[in-house]
Amino acid sequence: MSTRALSARRPGTVDRVGSARLRVLSMLALAIVLAGMVWSRLAYWQVAQHGRLTVQAQAQYREFVQLPAMRGAVFDRNLTQLVVNTTVYSAFVSPDQIVAADRDRVATGLAGVLGVDQAKVMTTLQSSSKFAYIARRFPKAKADKLRTLKLPGVGLQEETQRSYLPGIASGTTLAANLLGFVDWNGAGRYGLEEKYQKVLAGTPGYISSYRDLSNREIVLGSHTHQDPVPGSDLVLSVDASVQYAAEQALAEGVKRDKAESGSVLIMDPATGGIVAWADYPSYNANDFNHTDAALFKDNVLSYVYEPGSVMKVVTLSGALNAGAITPTTVINDPGYLKVDGFWIYDWDRRNHGNIDYTYVLEHSLNVGAMKAMLAVGHDAYYKNLQAFGLTQPSGIDVAGESFIPLPSAAQMQDAQYATTSFGQGIDVNMVQMLAATNVVANGGKYAPPHLVERMGTQINPLLLQSQRQVITPATAAKMTAMMEQVVQKGSGWTSRIRGFELDQAGKTGTSQIPVNGKYTQDVWTSFVGFLPAQHPKFTMLVVVRKPHYPGSERDWTLNDGYMTAEPIWKQIAQTIVVDWHITPDPH
Amino acid sequence: MAGAVAAERLRLNMFGHAYMAVGAVVIVLLFYLAIAAQITQASYDITRLQDQQRQLIAEQDQLRYQEVTLHAPAQVQQQAAQSGMQRVVPSSYVQGTEVAVDLEAPVGASASDTTPLWLRAVALVVNTVGGTRDVQAATKH
Repeated sequence: MSTRALSARRPGTVDRVGSARLRVLSMLALAIVLAGMVWSRLAYWQVAQHGRLTVQAQAQYREFVQLPAMRGAVFDRNLTQLVVNTTVYSAFVSPDQIVAADRDRVATGLAGVLGVDQAKVMTTLQSSSKFAYIARRFPKAKADKLRTLKLPGVGLQEETQRSYLPGIASGTTLAANLLGFVDWNGAGRYGLEEKYQKVLAGTPGYISSYRDLSNREIVLGSHTHQDPVPGSDLVLSVDASVQYAAEQALAEGVKRDKAESGSVLIMDPATGGIVAWADYPSYNANDFNHTDAALFKDNVLSYVYEPGSVMKVVTLSGALNAGAITPTTVINDPGYLKVDGFWIYDWDRRNHGNIDYTYVLEHSLNVGAMKAMLAVGHDAYYKNLQAFGLTQPSGIDVAGESFIPLPSAAQMQDAQYATTSFGQGIDVNMVQMLAATNVVANGGKYAPPHLVERMGTQINPLLLQSQRQVITPATAAKMTAMMEQVVQKGSGWTSRIRGFELDQAGKTGTSQIPVNGKYTQDVWTSFVGFLPAQHPKFTMLVVVRKPHYPGSERDWTLNDGYMTAEPIWKQIAQTIVVDWHITPDPH
Repeated sequence: MAGAVAAERLRLNMFGHAYMAVGAVVIVLLFYLAIAAQITQASYDITRLQDQQRQLIAEQDQLRYQEVTLHAPAQVQQQAAQSGMQRVVPSSYVQGTEVAVDLEAPVGASASDTTPLWLRAVALVVNTVGGTRDVQAATKH
């Protein structure tokens, strides 16, 4: 039937049917192509770009917040807290969110509370920026006032700041050069804060959570959370009271001596723990961003100097220990000695005749020191310097140690051996020098200098190590007796403390400062001593740089250690005697 | 007739099931919405409390710094000076004296009492009459 029907159709009908089919098929093909394009595009976005889009989408509704770790605290030996973490605030504005009508009110409010320049704030508000800080790191009281004003487009950002204890003057903080500070990025700078950055900083955590359209956190939504690990607390060997007394006495002394700067270092003779570490001038670590960067330098550790006659303690100890001399060995001192073609003189250029080594130390005679060095020999003398720790860095746990290595024993000229024996031509930092002298106070053992006694609950491993025997206890006792004579009869007389006159050991040092290879009239002066001599409770080194003692323009010896460094030593020692209830040994 | 009724019941049951299903879904949906709303509200409460906690911690930090500063040597000295006190160097120290007890002596019998007999007799009488316990304790053997 259909065949008939078809055959009955007119010829043009067949063409139209074919054309319709063709149109349908072509439309279908077009639809398929278009759909294919859409599908392929969808597949591209859904499959090929899945990862990138997921990240972008999550960025819109998920927030990754770093949770800062609480920085560890720092305590002194009596568990007085030296550093406290405080919360401070920074105020920022989003000028594009503040309508013109509100600008005046916002600027007035910010200027009134924060004390900033209103015109500057207005300029910021009129800019097209999206974010600008108005004030950084102000206290909570100001933040609270700002909150009550409810200013549009103004936000508060919480930040943690290290706050240090007040120092001797309003512009300083306690032990600023020792502790260093923490910058606005949370990184320790200088001193202990830098050295123990990893220990103190801890490990930050994070929280990844959802946010609603108002950018508020949906706390109970799906989120991942990693708690921060707080930093460890440090317990130092420092005594805050002694530190304060040292800073006070040093500041007074440096001003009195019209010196460029000064430093004090006090050590526990038995352990090597640092009791006080003072620099003058110092700075305010709570306001480091407004401080001259030159003041950040710590002169105790970062400044090398020629120790002068304090070195005679090391030279004579080595010679005594080697049996090359005794305290009563007599030598002839004509006031000079020719070494390697150089004439080297005593400080007073006088002929002292026949004298013993106790007299040499009492009167700080260079010729005697050189003869002691020659008696023991160059090699043994060099080994002695190594044993006392003067040929390598002290390794103390504070950042920024400066160190100038000595030439090797073979490379050192005879003249350098000679000058080194009385403390010139050798550069040391104060920690090296104090640790070396402390060998005598510690019965001949080298106590490694250190600041930190405990990190969290862990004891500093240094404290558990056995100490290196440098000289015999008998040699240390002999040298102690010689140093007692320095205080009783020699250049140490201005350091005498009432009640301890017979029980105090010390040695002065004065050395000219070289500039461009030539010694100038400017000097470093120092005094090192320990007390009570037979049972030392502390060893202290005071260094004054470039003193200009009144009258020294006529007589440069007035700048000597006994006039400049010793009075500072005495003042601090008196405070320690009282604070630590030290009593003299019976005689 | 019976078949038609049964079919009608069946049709009603089918609508009934559909209503029940839709109702159940609606109930679950409402329950979910209520829970979600509560969770969101709780989230905001927690955020608010966290904000308060941060402020309290900030306040605590301030107080701790004040407390530590009060004990700082600088503050102590300043307050002492305001009270009229100042650090002075002791004018003299108690000098050490020779210890009367011989620490080198072996442990054993105590040293013999060298007090004269007449003094002991007087002390005995005085102590008995006066009852001076310290003296009795010192002389009783």
